Amino acid sequence: MNENKENKVITDATEGEYKYGFTSDIDTDIIPPGLSEDVIRFISAKKHEPDWLLDFRLNAYRHWLTLPVPQWAHLTIPPIDYQAISYYAAPVKRNTPKSMDEVDPALVDTFNRLGIPLEEQKVLSGMAVDAVMDSVSVKTTHRERLAELGIIFCSFSEAVREYPDLVRKYLGKVVSYRDNFYAALNSAVFSDGSFVYIPKGVRCPMELSTYFRINAAGTGQFERTLIVADDDSYVSYLEGCTAPMRDENQLHAAIVEIIVEDRAEVKYSTVQNWYAGDAEGRGGIYNFVTKRGLCRGDYSKLSWTQVETGSAITWKYPSCILAGEGSVGEFYSVAVTNRMQQADTGTKMIHIGSNSRSTIVSKGISAGHSQNSYRGLVKVDKNAEGCRNYTQCDSLLLSSTCGAHTFPVIDVANSSAVVEHEATTSKISEDQIFYCNQRGIPTEEAVALIVNGYAKEVMNKLPMEFAVEAQKLLEITLEGSVG
Amino acid sequence: MTPAEAFGQYLELYKAAYTAKDGILSRLNASCAAALPGAIESYSTESTDIRETRTPALFAPDYGVNAGRIEMPADPAKSFRCGVPKLNSLLAIVSYDIFHATDTMTRGAVAGLTYESLRTLKDAEADDAEAILMKSIDTSRPDVLVNGLLLQDGIFIHTSAGTIVEKALQIVNIDAASVPMLSPRRIVIHAEADSHVKILLCDHSQNEDIENLNSQVVQIVAERGSKVELYDIEETNASTRRNCTIYADISDRASIVLNGSFLRGGITRNEYVVNLKGKQAEAHLSGLGICTDSQILDNRVTLTHSGTDGHSSQLFKNALFDSAKASFGGKIIVTEGAERTDAVQTNRNLLASPDARMHTSPQLEIYCDDVKCGHGAATGQLDEQALFYMQTRGIPREEAVRMLTQAFMVDVVDNISFEVLRQRLHILVEKRLNGTSGSCDTCATACHPQSPEQL
Repeated sequence: MNENKENKVITDATEGEYKYGFTSDIDTDIIPPGLSEDVIRFISAKKHEPDWLLDFRLNAYRHWLTLPVPQWAHLTIPPIDYQAISYYAAPVKRNTPKSMDEVDPALVDTFNRLGIPLEEQKVLSGMAVDAVMDSVSVKTTHRERLAELGIIFCSFSEAVREYPDLVRKYLGKVVSYRDNFYAALNSAVFSDGSFVYIPKGVRCPMELSTYFRINAAGTGQFERTLIVADDDSYVSYLEGCTAPMRDENQLHAAIVEIIVEDRAEVKYSTVQNWYAGDAEGRGGIYNFVTKRGLCRGDYSKLSWTQVETGSAITWKYPSCILAGEGSVGEFYSVAVTNRMQQADTGTKMIHIGSNSRSTIVSKGISAGHSQNSYRGLVKVDKNAEGCRNYTQCDSLLLSSTCGAHTFPVIDVANSSAVVEHEATTSKISEDQIFYCNQRGIPTEEAVALIVNGYAKEVMNKLPMEFAVEAQKLLEITLEGSVG
Repeated sequence: MTPAEAFGQYLELYKAAYTAKDGILSRLNASCAAALPGAIESYSTESTDIRETRTPALFAPDYGVNAGRIEMPADPAKSFRCGVPKLNSLLAIVSYDIFHATDTMTRGAVAGLTYESLRTLKDAEADDAEAILMKSIDTSRPDVLVNGLLLQDGIFIHTSAGTIVEKALQIVNIDAASVPMLSPRRIVIHAEADSHVKILLCDHSQNEDIENLNSQVVQIVAERGSKVELYDIEETNASTRRNCTIYADISDRASIVLNGSFLRGGITRNEYVVNLKGKQAEAHLSGLGICTDSQILDNRVTLTHSGTDGHSSQLFKNALFDSAKASFGGKIIVTEGAERTDAVQTNRNLLASPDARMHTSPQLEIYCDDVKCGHGAATGQLDEQALFYMQTRGIPREEAVRMLTQAFMVDVVDNISFEVLRQRLHILVEKRLNGTSGSCDTCATACHPQSPEQL
């Protein structure tokens, strides 16, 4: 096949428009844009928060004021006016819904159009869906069943009201408000999020899932997720995102904190498909997220899996602090960038406990004019004996105008550690396309096939319910018409 | 000490002590003096994890400069620990920064080759050297500017079109000062079309316990179809500081081989800035480091592919003992339009002691799709099973560790196509691991010291 034709096919295949671009019309209670101590006091008061939490927010805000905007990422971020953002938006409460019928029909419709009918999920999928719409938790299902096991799965504000001691014990213990610019901002203004507590010895019988949507124009969303897995427990948590089409950049600075105690295991999966801006790079979400887990207990395990297809700019490094003896950290990632998207994503594996192990598999796919970077740190502490890390990070390039970059850092201070890093960068070879064509597979489908095969190693790590959606998103992002 | 103080002190020294206004070196000094304040202002902390090898830290001590051009007697017999001088080469000795030709290299001995001091160049050659010196004033690097600011001598190597120099050009740097000194050294290499030249650079120091800073800048211009090989061996002592930057510009079908061996030293920072701007240009970089005690080695590579069909390989290996520290920072940049680039980068490190520390960041920046780029980095230790196997065969553990470490290093040495040097390096690595390279008395190769009168 001649080169022009091949390029055209790939270009056609990668130019599909965003299919989930719509806005649901729900009355929101928005405060005027701007950030000050008064705004923080307002948010805190609106949510009836205790004094210690207000102090936490104010300390974070005061610290945030002293921080410069981080410049080290391989990203071009237009200056953000933090005073032009509204820091609180909540759906107006009519009456507390007693059944699905009482939930705002527009909201239900939104979920239906996304293919997530709440009733069906409640009955058929066996998942508890804590749907977060613009920061305030609207509906939580399967609470009763989880409560029987002692599992707490609720919105963050509920947790603050009902389990203040637990929240106070763990909040900010993994991601301090002093951690970075966006973490400080989130700590000051976080609106809502999810709280999960799995008690000792409990294996969570279902996958916990939260769908986030950013919905009102010009409102930044600042969720905070806190997951605590006590000794010998297990939980699999899913986070999925879609956002409506907007011409205006929206900031999203979330924090996810995970604490894993002795022999406990947490699996955290993300599919992120926020609006990435149009073909010229207008609009799109700025996704600046701090995600970190502390494997505090011996033989604890934390596994991150992410499929990143959306957002105009992604700045995200889900990390593991492997403090426990024999603790295990995993990071599986597929990051797809197309058109003018930029992604700087990766992980940190900090080995503090002896015999801790970590695996990193990162697959980057760049198309259009996008820039896709992997940035990772593997650090082995001086006293961490017998640690093991394996890192593989591959990049696939689908156009001659995109960029794929790799910035790994390996810092080893203990002689018993074995740390390996492998990376490759390549394009889809003509041989592969030709082989598929020979077997009667059109080039467009061949590209989809090869990309899916390339990402399979990561997709396999996703829970069943998520894998299908993730694969679909991957195809929509890249192929448009294929799949 | 702030970067402004660390670098700024040399600007004051220049203003006070440098009076000459003529000649290419004086003009270079003046240009660097003009550019230095701006470079200091825009200096941002380098991304290396090792604090000691950041350039302001290297330049911070109050080093003296031999502005008066006082001869410092160097005794090669005392300095040479390596046996390499026995090579049949075109030998030059640089004591402090003063260039001494030896009788192996009279002018015109090899047709088409110029190999002499930057101070004595005349006419067209002087213009050529000046053009290269001036062209690459890197205003982002205060350390390189300080080198240019204080430069009073240097070496110019020029091969005219089609010249193939059979013998290696050997340059022996000897730090012979008895007080802490900064020795600014410069080598300008210009290989015209289809020429071929091999250069061997040996760094030695004479006086233990005298802290010297060896600031060296090498500028290589390889024209169409030429081949330049540069082998660099460092065997100095624990108080030596070295800051070496090699710039290379590679044109169509030209190739470059850069090989660095760190056998003994104090704190060393080697920076390679290679630009493959021509079609089918090639670069092969390799380096080995054996670090003991509290030695520090930092190798940094920025390799840019801006021409099509380029090929590059990098292989860097370090073995770290005691409380040694090493860092490898490698970056491959493939610019837009550099189609069909093939680049590989490998970094392997052996941590042989609980106090040793390795920091590595192998990076890729790719702006073009039809490329094959790979990098691999690994940090680990010797295979316990292999050690056990050898011990069961009656080999003492220490000996087994030495043998396996040597085997680990062997492929870097085997990469050297210059056979005599390759054999030498095998011996040197073995001696280094035996701990016998420290003095001539214990040296097994019984190299014959050359007489000091040669200087």
